[in-house]
Amino acid sequence: MTTESIARTIRDASAARTPLRVCGRSTWLDAGRPVRAKQTLSLQGDNGVVSYVPGDLTLTVRAGTSLAEIERATAEHDQWLPLDPYGSSDGTIGATVSTASAGPLASGFGLPRDLVLGMEFVSGRGEVIRCGGKVVKNVAGFDLTRLLTGSWGTLGVITEVTLRLYARPKVDRTFVVKLSGNGRDAAFLGGFLAARLGPFAFEVFSATAVRLLGLGDRAVCLIRFGGNEAGVAGQLAALTALATPEEVDANLWTRVRQLERDADCVIRISGPPSAFADGLDDILGDDIPSTMTWMSPVRGLVRLVVRKSSGPNAVSDVIIGNESGGDHSGHVICEKLPTEVWRQVPSAVSDPLSQRIKRVFDSNDLLNPGILG
Amino acid sequence: MQKPPVAERLADIVGEKHVLSRQSELLVYNSDGLPGYRRQPRLAVFPGTREETIKVVRVLAADGLPFVPRGAGTGLSGGALADDVVLLGLHRLKKIISLDVANMRATVEPGVVNLRLNRHVAPHGLLYAPDPSSEAACTIGGNVAENAGGPHCLKYGVTLNHVLAITALLPDGEVVELGSATGERDGYDLRGAFIGSEGCFGVALDVTVKLTPRPETVRTLLADFMSVDEAARVTSAVIASGIVPAALEFMDGPTIRVVEDSVYAAGYPRDAEAILLIELDGLRAGVDADLETVRAICLGGGARAVKVAKDDAERMKLWQGRKKAFGAMGRLAPHLIVQDAVIPRTQLPAILKRIHAISEKYGVVVCNVFHAGDGNLHPNIAYSADDPAESERVHKAMTEIMTACIEVGGSITGEHGVGLDKMGYMESIFTANSLNAMCELRGAFDPDRRSNPGKVVPIHSCREWHGVASARAPRPLSAEPSHPAVA
Repeated sequence: MTTESIARTIRDASAARTPLRVCGRSTWLDAGRPVRAKQTLSLQGDNGVVSYVPGDLTLTVRAGTSLAEIERATAEHDQWLPLDPYGSSDGTIGATVSTASAGPLASGFGLPRDLVLGMEFVSGRGEVIRCGGKVVKNVAGFDLTRLLTGSWGTLGVITEVTLRLYARPKVDRTFVVKLSGNGRDAAFLGGFLAARLGPFAFEVFSATAVRLLGLGDRAVCLIRFGGNEAGVAGQLAALTALATPEEVDANLWTRVRQLERDADCVIRISGPPSAFADGLDDILGDDIPSTMTWMSPVRGLVRLVVRKSSGPNAVSDVIIGNESGGDHSGHVICEKLPTEVWRQVPSAVSDPLSQRIKRVFDSNDLLNPGILG
Repeated sequence: MQKPPVAERLADIVGEKHVLSRQSELLVYNSDGLPGYRRQPRLAVFPGTREETIKVVRVLAADGLPFVPRGAGTGLSGGALADDVVLLGLHRLKKIISLDVANMRATVEPGVVNLRLNRHVAPHGLLYAPDPSSEAACTIGGNVAENAGGPHCLKYGVTLNHVLAITALLPDGEVVELGSATGERDGYDLRGAFIGSEGCFGVALDVTVKLTPRPETVRTLLADFMSVDEAARVTSAVIASGIVPAALEFMDGPTIRVVEDSVYAAGYPRDAEAILLIELDGLRAGVDADLETVRAICLGGGARAVKVAKDDAERMKLWQGRKKAFGAMGRLAPHLIVQDAVIPRTQLPAILKRIHAISEKYGVVVCNVFHAGDGNLHPNIAYSADDPAESERVHKAMTEIMTACIEVGGSITGEHGVGLDKMGYMESIFTANSLNAMCELRGAFDPDRRSNPGKVVPIHSCREWHGVASARAPRPLSAEPSHPAVA
């Protein structure tokens, strides 16, 4: 599959006014609102490394390349793309960038918008557009790369991505700190953040999630440190001054990414990190069996996962409660919801500016219609 | 002389002394940080508050008048030049609106000077990471417009990575919130699109930035070389080692000697052909280990000596020479031309050889002082724009250097922006479809293309644009002998 054949498919669909469901390896089709399209445009067959110069720490791949393939290619040179979205590494880089999906490593390395250097995409008109570049710093032209990242395929179909890589750290260790369930947890969290140790990842899990991870039945923190040996030893010493960490196998992160596998509702609640520190006991204490929460204190994000048995009401209560103010001023971002609940969620792209942008790139509403509302 | 009516209406909003319309008063606004280019605004207006800014832009919108937003005018791309249109100066909007230490963020007006923000947050153990060399004068609004970088962007990222939210005033007077000051959100990354839009999408009324904890330890080392090539190879080797220095800066022999002759003398070895200024920061234990690795790479790669700054005073002195290098060039000649290409980092040794060959071919002295760790070159030539023969040689050399950078897969600008200066190169790196998409994106923010008209994307690239281009677009710079881009 080539860019030109994708462009032709889009032009044909445009001529026939046939909306397209754009997907990668179809591992996460239940995310986003229901799409009003019958024809599928899969990028799965369009994969592989286009160029990779390890000394430049940049990698260009076709959009259908899976994260696992990127892991393999970069590991040969002791490098990695520090991007670990929830689910698994079976998904494609195109889908990951399109949905701006990120996981625990975002605390240390940022979001897809911070890792993507450039791309090629095909607009809803079937035009091939290249933006950004292959160098690590670039301000030439208006930033279509950022605009397409996280646009869920509604502005264009990403066909190729250039990414910033990092060297694999010499040392990469993961520690668990068991929380006490009393008022001291907030103090530990505050102390850890104030110590500014720069962890690769730092997540706090509610008891339900902890049970699924096989780490006991009390809320825990998972902390990932990386760097040279002396640096990680220093980080660990600082952590040990605040708590009693136990080392765990780094493969645990793979299981963390799979925690929401059976979920039918996944919601992110964002806000200023301090708002979550203040409400820590509520977030972790309100732990009903069908609901799991975990939190990325560095990002100011709570991930709320509701599993099948709880019914839609629990979910809509959370969304409505937060949209109508709650006690923080952040945002509710829905990833997966039952169809009937989606109807209650306001669109994130209904503002006039977003609508004008949509018309520029996909005036016929051909690409993933309805997925963002 | 009677003011035109629009000047009177603007004066009613901002006060008479904040509207300039006499040619003699406007003279100081006829260039930015690249003194080789001059354009005279017709009128300049300087609102003092957010409300005044909104009213001013709405008056301009009602009259259909184009305008050019301007911060401190330190830009290096001709981006803030107003060619017979209204200049909208925003440097009076300089309130630091809020500082949230616990969540490490601050909201500021666009006219706040970068270094002032840094001084304001320093007592809380925080810093604002993007540190353009003009930090003592440039404004956050200008930084957002240009997606400004700086030496420490190697580790910490550019403006794009440090801005959470922008309240933007669109050219038609509409106020929109882009991004979110309180947390991650969904929807299109409009904040990302706005950053680096060079004033073509409107102006920022306030900007919420992410602050960064001051590192526990900072170590700065100076490695000097008797060969440019060795320094370039060491740069590539440090990057390939996987260590991410906070900064990795390169200065060649001619630059070293100009700086050492100036008031910014930093104690660089005058006889060296190149120096690398490498900074490492983070937790003490990790930094000390990386420092030894970097020292070994430098010495193994041919460094004559590696000196580690022993205290903050020595560190600041080493940095002073680097940050003021462009200023020091003023000793050589009245005008300076600077480029900003970025190349893949493994190409550094080859490109520096090529630049040397080009400088000999045209008989010009190219000084190289740049962000080597990012591959972001700043070849610069001090010259006199009043000498036509010299100007021609300088611009031919610069064009050839840029072409060489593009040929190895580089970008034409890493942090200075396209402005007017590099517009002629846009078609060498982007296809017609891509340029048209940029034009149309601009149209979503500014359908009449009134905000900073005629910059960034060549107007003939915009297929849908049927406006009165001739009245609004600035005169092409090709009319000027000093223009590098249009041969």
